[in-house]
Amino acid sequence: MRKAMQEAVRGIIRSRKDAALLLVDIGVFPFRDLLEQYPERAKNIGIFEAGTVSVAAGLSLAGVTPILYGISPFIVQRALEQLKLGFAYQKIGGNFITTGAAYDFSTLGYSHYCPEDAATLRLLPGMEILAPGTPEQFTALFHACCFDGKPSYFRMTDHSCKVPVSIEFGKAAVIKRGARAVVIAVAEQLDATLEACTGLDVTILYYTTLAPFDKQTLCCELVGGKVFVSAAFYTGSLYPEIMDGAGGRPVQISGAEIPLEILRNYGTKEEKDKALGLDAVGIRRKLEAFLTD
Amino acid sequence: MTERARQLRKSILRMAYFAQDANLPSTFSAVEILRVLYDRVLRASPETADDPGRDRFVLSKGQATMGLLAILAEKGYFPQEELLTACRYDSRVSMQADRTKLPFVEVSAGSLGHGFPMAAGMAWANRIMGRNASVYVLAGDGEMNEGAMWEAALFAASEKLDRLTLIIDDNDSIGRMVRMGDLSEKLRAFGFQTVEADGHDEEALAQALAVRHPGMPMAVLAKTIRGYGSQTLTEDRSWFHRAPTKNEMEQLIQEVECCGT
Repeated sequence: MRKAMQEAVRGIIRSRKDAALLLVDIGVFPFRDLLEQYPERAKNIGIFEAGTVSVAAGLSLAGVTPILYGISPFIVQRALEQLKLGFAYQKIGGNFITTGAAYDFSTLGYSHYCPEDAATLRLLPGMEILAPGTPEQFTALFHACCFDGKPSYFRMTDHSCKVPVSIEFGKAAVIKRGARAVVIAVAEQLDATLEACTGLDVTILYYTTLAPFDKQTLCCELVGGKVFVSAAFYTGSLYPEIMDGAGGRPVQISGAEIPLEILRNYGTKEEKDKALGLDAVGIRRKLEAFLTD
Repeated sequence: MTERARQLRKSILRMAYFAQDANLPSTFSAVEILRVLYDRVLRASPETADDPGRDRFVLSKGQATMGLLAILAEKGYFPQEELLTACRYDSRVSMQADRTKLPFVEVSAGSLGHGFPMAAGMAWANRIMGRNASVYVLAGDGEMNEGAMWEAALFAASEKLDRLTLIIDDNDSIGRMVRMGDLSEKLRAFGFQTVEADGHDEEALAQALAVRHPGMPMAVLAKTIRGYGSQTLTEDRSWFHRAPTKNEMEQLIQEVECCGT
């Protein structure tokens, strides 16, 4: 997905003189060609994310579309007020591409994790939250949102799905239909979710746009009065949207998500997934319990 | 005090009375700075409000918003009567401007430490787009406590943003807080060209704002007095965030009229 991101950004910086790339000393090497060819508007700014997000807002206010790339928590959390006041409040566009997803930097510890990004950013009205699961999905979402005049957060993961799904910005994809429940799979969780759902009579919806949330598809597809969320976010991050999507009908919600804990173990992402019940086995166990509940 | 500065202070007082909210001392300390910017420095007018090549003024210290809005109304950006609707439920005009309602306000202010880095981004955008335009930003000395201000200072100097001018309304807020030492010295150490001026002397301010140094951002330290123009606002600390009653407004207007005469 990083390569797809680099190509997409490269294409924009080369073709649009009113776009700028801001790096915060992350992922600089792959962009060295842009930094050399377009020194005026492709820069490694330095390691001050809060100020850099405000600088990006200044660019946007003066007609230059910013593309900022960094590590999730250092953008979402360190620069949250800058996103809120610079972008949401002033209703201006900008692109924030982050790497790290929930806990991709597994060995670096809690400082580098951001399982709260969706829950945090959904409280900034107008913020688009994009969670592609494959490189192609990143490219599609990036091109749909890059110049749409809204702040767009692109949550990248280093663990792309193998199952390809053609997606559209703002729309959930219906993967299959069943009768007992709706299973919502988000981004990189699709593969394990599909495996976990083998032989189960459930509808599977795949979400890569989390804000604005496609309530309409959920509303139309709701079956069995149950929604199960399979997503690498803190538990409950998407429940308000799901309840809203149910359109006033009673709905039971559960999921295979990250428990609201400070994650203190290291190891690999896969070890974390297993320990937290986010792998196929864990998802299946939770889903079966939920269906028979 | 010039007659125009006196008129602006009186507009601010009337606005504060109708709004029933105000930061009068920190608005009054910035009056001459706003006067000089809008009367003599900025290449900007209501007719060029949408021109990408206009000069931009960013109010980073949001407490002076009433002063900014009063001068923008005076310059014809919006009707002056609207000032007296400040802070009503459906007003466009308030204690802190919202640029989605007032698009000629360059930046929505409120939280300190945001305007200066945004101004730096604007100066950078002007360079990218090849515009011959300047960006001026007004900060408070207290606001210079904020880390993001120094992040912006690092960036502006590193990028040699020589069409960016940081004006500090140095009204000694810092005197009651953390000791920051010499602000001019610190900004020079960051790579700014600095100049100090009496912030209530419009001639001195105009001269300071005319200084430029190729390859370096400018900082103008305007030495000001909180509440300048009214003895009550200068001496009585309780006015930091307080609205005047009708009688108080009349008394404060009287003080402004008598000041320096």
